[in-house]
Amino acid sequence: MQGFDATNPPFDRLLQHELDELISSLDVGYYRPGEVIVQQAHASENLHVVIKGSVEVRESSSLRLVLGPKDSFDSRAVVHGAAGEDFVATEETLCHLIPRDLLLGLIRRNPAFAAFFYADVSRKLAAFAEARQAEGVESVLRSRIRDARFGAAVFIEANATIEQAGRTMRDNNINALYVRDGERIGVVTGMNLSKAVVLRRLALDTPLREVCHFDVVAIDADDFIFDALLLMTKQDKRRLAVRRDGAFVGFLEDIDLLGLFAGNSQLIPGRIERARSLDDLAAPARDIQAQVERLHGQGLKVDLVADITSDLNRRLLHKLFDMIAPPSIRQHGCLLLMGSEGRGEQTARTDQDNGLLLGADVPAEDLAAFRADFSGALESFGFPPCPGNVVVSNPVWSQSVASFIRQLKSWLLSRDPDAAMNIAIFSDAVAVAGDPEHLARAKRSLVELLRGENALLAQFARLIETFSTPNLGVLSVIMASVGVGVDEVDLKKAGTFPIVHGVRTLAIEKAVLASSTAGRIASLVEMRTLDSRFGLELVSALRVFMEFRLRSQLRAIHRGRPEQEALVRLDEITAADRDILRDALRVVRQFREFIRVHYNLAAF
Amino acid sequence: MARFLRNLFYRVSLGNPAYRFLFQPGPPDEVVVIDCETTGLNPRRDEMIAVAAIKVQGRRILTSDAFRVVIRADKPPTAESIKVHHLRAQEVALGKQMHKVLPELLHFIGGRPIVGYYVDFDVAMLDKYVLPYIQAKLPNPRIDVSAIYYALKYRNAPPGTVHDLRFASMLSDLGLPALHQHDAFNDALMTAMMYVQLRDMQERGVQIGRLRNVQQHIPVSA
Repeated sequence: MQGFDATNPPFDRLLQHELDELISSLDVGYYRPGEVIVQQAHASENLHVVIKGSVEVRESSSLRLVLGPKDSFDSRAVVHGAAGEDFVATEETLCHLIPRDLLLGLIRRNPAFAAFFYADVSRKLAAFAEARQAEGVESVLRSRIRDARFGAAVFIEANATIEQAGRTMRDNNINALYVRDGERIGVVTGMNLSKAVVLRRLALDTPLREVCHFDVVAIDADDFIFDALLLMTKQDKRRLAVRRDGAFVGFLEDIDLLGLFAGNSQLIPGRIERARSLDDLAAPARDIQAQVERLHGQGLKVDLVADITSDLNRRLLHKLFDMIAPPSIRQHGCLLLMGSEGRGEQTARTDQDNGLLLGADVPAEDLAAFRADFSGALESFGFPPCPGNVVVSNPVWSQSVASFIRQLKSWLLSRDPDAAMNIAIFSDAVAVAGDPEHLARAKRSLVELLRGENALLAQFARLIETFSTPNLGVLSVIMASVGVGVDEVDLKKAGTFPIVHGVRTLAIEKAVLASSTAGRIASLVEMRTLDSRFGLELVSALRVFMEFRLRSQLRAIHRGRPEQEALVRLDEITAADRDILRDALRVVRQFREFIRVHYNLAAF
Repeated sequence: MARFLRNLFYRVSLGNPAYRFLFQPGPPDEVVVIDCETTGLNPRRDEMIAVAAIKVQGRRILTSDAFRVVIRADKPPTAESIKVHHLRAQEVALGKQMHKVLPELLHFIGGRPIVGYYVDFDVAMLDKYVLPYIQAKLPNPRIDVSAIYYALKYRNAPPGTVHDLRFASMLSDLGLPALHQHDAFNDALMTAMMYVQLRDMQERGVQIGRLRNVQQHIPVSA
């Protein structure tokens, strides 16, 4: 039937004949305002796809979400036999009706389509992440050669000797040189030199003219990567000359292409390690950030992107600490990374939460110099300053272990939300350089201070109530009725924070040592504090938020609007994405309820 | 009254008794929405080139069981009508002949009321073929969506109000999506959507506001 949008996910996953079958079975249903289309806990004979109108999703009379055209509902009622919520038409609404039997048939036959209907957020998300992978390779092939990292062009005269060429290659750490012979330009490779000397037994002072070749296979810097691949295959070359505006600017090697596909994260640690000065460190620091976008573009799952990024950032800070810290601080200090960096969940750089714990007194001037230099260096690398001022330059976050433990105590007793936030940030700390025992001591004290102190724990848990989890789309109805704006979800407030903080509180209570949220959840499941299935859902939901957040961060960076980094505009994402977000927010609400009951927050 | 008498006459004079079912009431709460594409707007002279019929059961539009057919007309479509319907002479020639279409269509319609946009035109067009075939005109009750729309929107309107009953205007006023027009099936489907919504508004006694913005730039013909 015309009018059914087959490009609307998940229907875009259907093959043509499946689509024909679907379309020929569609009916259209009309619902008057106020009519309950699907009732909570009841099965539904049809999957509804909204044509016009709007449908409210209600759970025990509170509004959760508003669906509009192209949204579909309710897969749980159709596939699993019980709707999670009530679905109520709020205006004159028309829906395509997809019969249950047909839908189940399609789900059985088409796994990509089926993924949309999984009950578990985790399985659904995994399926969607896989779907994105294919686009990754495609996007690399369509990127330009100039965007690839390729070797520089180094020129040598044709009169130069084989030996000179070999030394020039070594000095520049490259494997090929351009050879200038009057008007002509040729190429000589390390392999040419080896063959000349080993197989042809030429003398080391043979001029290069004898061993280089002038039939240079070149490609333009503006060409696509797939052009380069094709040319390499056709010409059986492992290296192409790169030309820009008629001049040779470098060599593109097959290994450079490999780097594009895999990202070049494997190269960054080496560069960090080799850095001799702050300037040397600046380049890899920038590359870590560029890496995030490339890895994400290639469809790497967000938790892996975060893992790689955290690892690289920790190496970077470790190196920086070694470079900057005076001997006294290197001997007695322990550099901490906290907050999302500590949990290993930061992808795009949003802030820097770092600190220093000292096991013994150090000269005041050493400490002052370190505080200024360290923070200054990070800022010059493009780390945004921390809004909460959780950085080593702040004396609160760089002091001796003993005084810091006293600081923790006073924070605990102050009942102030900012103090609670500080404790939260600290509890995510990991040691990246120096003696990790200082951190372990401070953390043990924190756990000791809170052991059995249910009121304090509840006080701490109560931060979870700071932001409420929104009911998707509700705002838009109000806003649209007065004609302004579309609605946006703040992923950090609505999704990430409640999960992270709830898990963090449980982790402190149960003295769990892990600092990543996923690691904490795993331990809590092991201790049976959390049900294993729920634990899985929580981890998945967190990844959903991280994935969406990374997307909006990258967009915010491109738009030059960093303050919008955590916002998702519902009208800019597909119906399938909204559906996933909806599932993830449902998990957050369940978890809030769990925390509320666990810490008896209703008593406050 | 006139139609009652006419129907009475046709019932008696019905040429083919197999079609008596047209005079019986159809299944309760069912209507059939019909749209014809023609070579022109004069039922005497012009020919039908495509017809689509969709049943509506209560508030459910049974698009999965629609009747849609291209008719092989005696007269080739004119250049003008090709422009409107995008049905070329070739496609029309591939269609079915009217005497093969009619029995199926009449059985599909049965005794159900016929719903359309300016439904009298579509029924007049059908009657042109039905009358010689069964010696009777279609006796079915007719429901015109533009008439319901008019009643909900312009009844009690102050004198001088501009009445806009164009298809596209009604569609956008009711918030319905515009499908590609002048395809018999799409037109019938959009008419059916208007019908279910208008009938419900009528049942609930809801008036259509006259201040709503209506997109007026799409000229429309039946």
